[in-house]
Amino acid sequence: MPLKRNVSFWEGLKYKGGGPMWAWILHRLSGLGILLFVGLHVLAAFLTAQFGSDAGIAINVVYESWAFQIIVYFSILFHAINGLRVIVLDFWPALLEYEREAIWAEWSVIVPIFGLATYIIITKALGG
Amino acid sequence: MQVTLKVYRYNPEKDKKPHYDTFTLEADPTERVLDLMERIKGLQDGTLTFRRSCAHGICGSDAMRINGMNRLACKTLVQDVGKKITVEPILGLPVIKDMIVDMEPFFESYRSVMPYFINNDPPPNGERLQSPEERERFDDTTKCILCAACTTSCPSFWANGKYVGPSAIVNAHRFIFDSRDQAAKERLEILAGQFGVYRCRTIFNCTLACPRDIQITKAIGEVKEAIATGKLD
Ligand code: HEM
Ligand code: SF4
Ligand code: FES
Repeated sequence: MPLKRNVSFWEGLKYKGGGPMWAWILHRLSGLGILLFVGLHVLAAFLTAQFGSDAGIAINVVYESWAFQIIVYFSILFHAINGLRVIVLDFWPALLEYEREAIWAEWSVIVPIFGLATYIIITKALGG
Repeated sequence: MQVTLKVYRYNPEKDKKPHYDTFTLEADPTERVLDLMERIKGLQDGTLTFRRSCAHGICGSDAMRINGMNRLACKTLVQDVGKKITVEPILGLPVIKDMIVDMEPFFESYRSVMPYFINNDPPPNGERLQSPEERERFDDTTKCILCAACTTSCPSFWANGKYVGPSAIVNAHRFIFDSRDQAAKERLEILAGQFGVYRCRTIFNCTLACPRDIQITKAIGEVKEAIATGKLD
């Protein structure tokens, strides 16, 4: 009997697709992440406004903590910039010959913007 | 130099689950992974099972995962992958034995895109002429050897085996953009369907895996564009 074709999640993650494959994985994770963040935000506002419940405030304390803000910020920034790359390559497939360069260009935009914002968030958090 | 080869093993008559065997052997940096496997089969363990035919990168028999990435064993030099080599079957097709997978689902997808020349006009006296530019238009996708390295590197295909996959799209592209062919419309209709090109998420694993260096993601993009615009230029 041949083995079934099922590819496990880990088997897939171990595949050496390199930068392009990881950009896609991060895109999906950050997309689902944004959905979760926005959901939490709406839920917190709803709980506080509707029931004046402490749960809403508890969510907000986590949501507004600087560590959480950094994660949210990275997810949105990465998703937006990577999304623009995918859109450009979808519209002009000829540019796909420069996929590697496109990935480098993308990170060269993301890293400085993310670095600067993270620096500000952290110094503010530590400086009070 | 001394090389260790860790090989995926599955014997359908004995094993419930696959396991790995490790072989140690002397190898030259310029030898190919296929040479090492031949040597293991000949001198160390005759039960090691894998496909190969041409041994020169043209028959498409020996696509496998070498150090985690799909490649042809006959085109992969030891010096390019290092002293520790892991060899596993390609993903997403049923494993029959060791490195041998059931290729039938792959060929079924291939057949589904009508990968042959269609032109119902009466044949001309000589050849069906085409300008060098018209020939150039689909040159890249004529190079496919149907090794399945691309399709089995694709996360969309891993998730759903009904996706026709990059290789079938490459072979459809080869006829869709051939000025002498008349069935582009039918092929585009097939590829616009539920298991066609829109399962492609521009992940790029296929292009990096292709031993023929075909710009696969670009070809898929061109097919998406042709479906969206109805134009073939
Ligand atoms: C900043 C604006 C945004 C841009 C430019 C953007 C762009 C994109 C693009 C182009 C894709 C398709 C990716 C692909 O086919 O490979 C995508 C997928 C996705 N987006 Fe966004 N997006 C944005 C905001 C959001 C938001 C706010 C959410 C969550 C509510 C979200 C969640 C997702 C999810 C879950 C996917 C599916 C990922 C996948 O197919 O792998 N996106 N986005
Ligand atoms: S497109 Fe390349 S990787 Fe895919 S089947 Fe053809 S030769 Fe193999
Ligand atoms: S044995 Fe023919 S392609 Fe490698």
